[in-house]
Amino acid sequence: MVPTLVAALFAAPLWFMVVGSLRPAGLPPPRSLEVLPPEPTLDAYARLPELIPLFRYLANSALVVALAVPVTVLAASLTGFGIRLLGPVARRRVVLGLLVVLLVPVTAVWATRFELFRLLGVVDTYLPLLAPALLAVSPFLVLLYAWSFGGVPESQLEAARLEGARWLSVWRRVALPQVRPTTLAVAVLAFTYHWANFIDPLLYLHSGDRYTYALGLQFLRLLNPTDWPLLMAGCVVAALPCVLVFLLAQRILLNDDPLAALRSGGRR
Amino acid sequence: MSSRSRRPLTPWMFLAPYGVAVLLLIALPALLNLGYAFTDHTGLTRDPRFTGLANLRRLVADDFFLDSLEASLFHVAVSVPLRLLAAVGLGLLLAAPRPGGRWFRVAVYLPTVIPDVALAVLFLWVLNPLYGPLNQLLGLVGHPGYTWLAEPTTARVGVVLMLLFPIGEGFLVVLAARRLLDGRLYEAAALEGCGPFGQLRRLTLPLLAPVLVLLAVRDTILTLQVNFVPAYVLTDGRPANATQYLPVYIFDHAFEFSGFAYGALLTIVLMVISAAVITVQLLAVRRWRVLR
Repeated sequence: MVPTLVAALFAAPLWFMVVGSLRPAGLPPPRSLEVLPPEPTLDAYARLPELIPLFRYLANSALVVALAVPVTVLAASLTGFGIRLLGPVARRRVVLGLLVVLLVPVTAVWATRFELFRLLGVVDTYLPLLAPALLAVSPFLVLLYAWSFGGVPESQLEAARLEGARWLSVWRRVALPQVRPTTLAVAVLAFTYHWANFIDPLLYLHSGDRYTYALGLQFLRLLNPTDWPLLMAGCVVAALPCVLVFLLAQRILLNDDPLAALRSGGRR
Repeated sequence: MSSRSRRPLTPWMFLAPYGVAVLLLIALPALLNLGYAFTDHTGLTRDPRFTGLANLRRLVADDFFLDSLEASLFHVAVSVPLRLLAAVGLGLLLAAPRPGGRWFRVAVYLPTVIPDVALAVLFLWVLNPLYGPLNQLLGLVGHPGYTWLAEPTTARVGVVLMLLFPIGEGFLVVLAARRLLDGRLYEAAALEGCGPFGQLRRLTLPLLAPVLVLLAVRDTILTLQVNFVPAYVLTDGRPANATQYLPVYIFDHAFEFSGFAYGALLTIVLMVISAAVITVQLLAVRRWRVLR
């Protein structure tokens, strides 16, 4: 009973978003709570591409995600594997160091990081949007990998080494295939981060035709501040890819035993 | 060049790219902040001049900064305990395996995957005084509703309310941490007649304490930082500076008012607050014997 209420409470804003997007434009304010849309229409979705370069923004976002997600997965898995190879003392120190990085607010460095990118002359390109990817988005994703690689037996790593494999190929051939669920989970979390990233495009992208969709949504709001069905349709378009991609990873991340599911080598 | 002599270097080679990224993208900009804070740099020209403590004097006399600091501290003081309570409460409530249990967790996690601009625009609608579902909901119980974002206090409450939904990270950590606790402890406690609330108070919360401390500190800092997007989209610092949180104020100076150097100084203030929190965290964690 309580879990159902909780689930309903958390789903409610999303439900209002969908219902709001199906409302015909220009209706008077509702007299009471609208749980279902009166005279539902997809009109708002049809008007979106007429008012903003919707497909251009979506393509830009797709490009950024296509570049940033692989970089994020690479950064997180390499670093996680490095932690796996450390001795216990050094490992604890590195993990503590990661927790400290976890606590550095992005706002603490955004102005001077902008200055660095300005001096490099890459403002108004997608390059600065890859900076968070080089940092694996969040130490949290590095720790996910470090945990999963912890389940790869020492004997297998040793055996591959004795057969003359380089560490890089041990990482790629022995370790990575055993943590596929983690790779999926990290890729999904990286996708939602880069798709949603608003602050970096806001700072770095100045030409309208380079805007990502997150920035485009803000632009849409400035253009039509009171056209609610339109704005809600814009929100649904922003949220839908993240929700769909997240549903791929929920069986791992929200498993009864998420830590075991991360290590399960894709068998579950 | 035997593999034996090369071996100790290897883990560090895997860690090197991340280390370099941390140095270039976090440590170096943080250091530059210190340098720029004592100049007159506008962010437009290339040759900042040293101006000593001029920015610091300006800060001490800046009423808007005080408003901003107050708004941030209010937000952290209200938002962090509520978010933590929600994440821990829901994590423990939904951790137990039950049929379909995953879908309840999915429902709780979903608002977290919604892009924060979309969530903010959605809350402009939810909090809309005429059309908004929240006021309609209040209308069902006979309450006239509020003009949420137009009044200083309710605007702050609106931002807090919105940030109560994306709590997925903490929720996930609590779910995972709860699974790591030894089931036999609970069987023993049940045998000795310890009820569910006794188990929560005597077993679960003490065992999870280090995780809870980390979550609290992480959330404090996240809350100081992530409230930029909601405040920027929902209210843009209005009304009467009530939601002019520090990140919004820094953004305005560094990127809108050409006060780059002053923004750098404000950033240092924000970092000092963060450092104070980290110190408290490390002391607390040491008390719970995680560091040994």
